Amino acid sequence: MSAGVRWWRRVLVAAGVAIAGYALVGALTDNDVNKFGVPLFLVVVLVLHDAVFLPAVLGAGAALRRFVPRRARWSVQAGALISLAVLVVGLPPVLGFGRAADNPSALPRPYGWGLLAVLAAVWAGVAITATVARHRRDGRRDAPGRRGVPGE
Amino acid sequence: MVRDAGTSVTGRARAAVAWLQAPPDTLRRGPFRPGAFGSALRSTRLTSQLGVALGIAFAICFLTGVTSHLIQHPPGWFWWPSRPVSLYRVTQGLHVATGLAMIPLLGAKLWSVYPRLFSWPPVPGPARAIELLGIVALVGGGLFQVVSGVLNINRWYAPMPFFFTAAHYWVAWLTIGGLLAHIGVQLPVVREALRRTPPETPAPAPAKSANDGLVADRPDAGGSDAGGSDAGGPDAGGPDAGGPDAGGPDGPVATRRRLLGAVGAAAGVITVATVGQTVAPLSGISLLAPRRPDTGPQGLPVNKSAAGARVRRAALDPGYRLRISGPRPVALSLADLAALPQHTATLPITCVEGWSASATWSGVRLRDLAKMAGVDPEHAVAEVESLEAAGRYRTSSVAAPHLRDPLTLIALRLDGSDLHLDHGYPARLIAPNRPGVMQTKWLSRITLRSMS
Repeated sequence: MSAGVRWWRRVLVAAGVAIAGYALVGALTDNDVNKFGVPLFLVVVLVLHDAVFLPAVLGAGAALRRFVPRRARWSVQAGALISLAVLVVGLPPVLGFGRAADNPSALPRPYGWGLLAVLAAVWAGVAITATVARHRRDGRRDAPGRRGVPGE
Repeated sequence: MVRDAGTSVTGRARAAVAWLQAPPDTLRRGPFRPGAFGSALRSTRLTSQLGVALGIAFAICFLTGVTSHLIQHPPGWFWWPSRPVSLYRVTQGLHVATGLAMIPLLGAKLWSVYPRLFSWPPVPGPARAIELLGIVALVGGGLFQVVSGVLNINRWYAPMPFFFTAAHYWVAWLTIGGLLAHIGVQLPVVREALRRTPPETPAPAPAKSANDGLVADRPDAGGSDAGGSDAGGPDAGGPDAGGPDAGGPDGPVATRRRLLGAVGAAAGVITVATVGQTVAPLSGISLLAPRRPDTGPQGLPVNKSAAGARVRRAALDPGYRLRISGPRPVALSLADLAALPQHTATLPITCVEGWSASATWSGVRLRDLAKMAGVDPEHAVAEVESLEAAGRYRTSSVAAPHLRDPLTLIALRLDGSDLHLDHGYPARLIAPNRPGVMQTKWLSRITLRSMS
């Protein structure tokens, strides 16, 4: 490790610790910060993510590897990844707890249909990409002199 | 001394630490088993690349967020201009759009380092214990920011046992602190991993450094999916091969580049599906955006309604007066206001929640009212108050650049008709380059002060 890197490491770690300390002092002295609610929420989202969400994703991934035929596997994996990210953004408006009778301009759309449409577009995109890639691959494989060329 | 180890407090503590650093192997079960995480996709290089992208996203969110906070709670040294008119619209739109787009990045990053959570022994020493504490701040803080942000833009407050704004602000500082320390700790690993040649191929591991097993699974080319069999050479080898060669007759296998592509595609889909709440031309295809810029009373969204603010009666009272305090105080009825010179400005309403919409406002210039009250508008500030009896956003301050600006209006009309009650009838403030919560509605009083 060069001296420059060592210097940067020290500066970054010191600055990080100082800023985190500033955050703790600031949060503790700000009357608008709920001293129980904020740490509780932080720990709950961390535990839910690491102990529930990610294991579930890994489980689904293992099932996918087992049951999806190899030729379609990566396409399905990619589609599932994108769909999962879309769900995180799309589920809150679909559930619609933020709707208010006195303010129809908040959450004005039919989000259930919107989510279905976005997911349909994602899987259509995945299918098109896979088909195009397959055609390109087949084309190249059929080309003469392709096989056995070193360094390809 | 040694004999005391079983009884004295320090002896017990020492024994406990020793046990923690070398726990019995019989406890090494479940995810702690060697090779419990099978994906050959995980690599230091993947983690580093996701980390760099995520770091940039965090930086954008932090800087734009702190800017928004400073505008709303300006300390003495802070100065925010009134032009360009849409600057805040851009910074706050970017804040929310970046926060949403980082969701797949954050998910993939945490997935890529998940096995580290189960390294063995779990806490080999004090350095690792401190590093873990920093990672709790960083990961917990990052998840806190993203989850609370998503809940807030969807106005779903029930799951959050706190006042969002203050919590989101301070946890941002905590997260950035954790991030800087994390970058410091991982700097040599990241530098090594991002070299042009993948470090996995030539050397068994990037030295000892701080890498204490950053990534448990070394990517092994091809893996059980023998797909990439004809990809060879150190430059194209293994999961780094992103070209069509990585797909054998059995179809494409997952590679690092493909995974990065999918993560990027997810960020893109999320952006297109939501950014129309501030980029109006895209509102037709932003099917998951919490707002439409053209939907609301008079075709404009509303954050707080008159009913919600409990101002209906006071706002509709025929005896309404707007009181201007200054060296020459005046009280103006709606007719008085309408009789003053009227001006029109096209200005955006920009909500901190990330939506924005342009509209054409007409009314009296705030600088004209300042002159009327006996204050030099070039060197003055104002405090504006709403008819609301209570509430966090009942008042706002108008700093000198905005008070001076001829585009800053006490608006009476929106797109040619009287203001809708929900847009602040009888009169509201509308100023360029300012958060929506500071565009005070249902004005009752304006206090003008000369700056000495």
